Amino acid sequence: MSQNRDYELVYIVSPETSEQDITDLHTQIEQIVQRFQGTIEKSENWGRRKLAYEIGHHREGTYVVETIRGSGDLMKEIDRRLRVIDSVIRHLIVRVDEDLRVADRHRDARKATQARRRTARGLPPEPAVGERRGERDADDEDDRLEGVEVQR
Amino acid sequence: MSDERGGRGRGGKSGDKAKGEARPRGGFFRRRRVCKFCADKIDYINYKDVRLLMPFIPERGKIQPRRISGTCALHQRKLQTAIARARQLALIPYVTD
Repeated sequence: MSQNRDYELVYIVSPETSEQDITDLHTQIEQIVQRFQGTIEKSENWGRRKLAYEIGHHREGTYVVETIRGSGDLMKEIDRRLRVIDSVIRHLIVRVDEDLRVADRHRDARKATQARRRTARGLPPEPAVGERRGERDADDEDDRLEGVEVQR
Repeated sequence: MSDERGGRGRGGKSGDKAKGEARPRGGFFRRRRVCKFCADKIDYINYKDVRLLMPFIPERGKIQPRRISGTCALHQRKLQTAIARARQLALIPYVTD
């Protein structure tokens, strides 16, 4: 029996690889996913990025991120295939469903407590925008992190 | 120093008084110690979000200890795995010198 779980696959393709080869690689993965009755939920290409350290004489690489829903066997197969392909200089598979579920639960719990406490104080359950003191100005030392785009 | 352990993050906004500002005694400036992830309500520490992780990696490339950053135990643990993953993907260096 195999269960469907959410995985994130990130792989770095060597900078010499052409656009065409990258799309080929993507379709290759897509085929494996289909064969194992999985689905690709999301796929994004970050484009060329400088690597933090050299990997096999490469200083740059193209990052591709795919969110895949499927079984463990599927990911095993993808892992095996990516190991063999030379143009992929690094890849990482992470199971994310559990962590995201925990995060969602935490957020919901926090919202619920907030709503409960606010109604107990006779306020509407949701705080109005700008109502909370220090939402922005309290931690001015974190300004460098403003506008951080969180990619999930 | 001993009363200022890292795990006070959950206090969140309650610590408004002790926020930053120079301490009268001791002479030097001490940072306010709240867990950034508790304060900003970040539930999932994403390993792909380099801008989030970078402040916890000083020059050398090592992970900043909890006693300095003020991160709570729970989030330091999550941060640790996130950094490990980001390093594997060459988003963050293992070492820099």
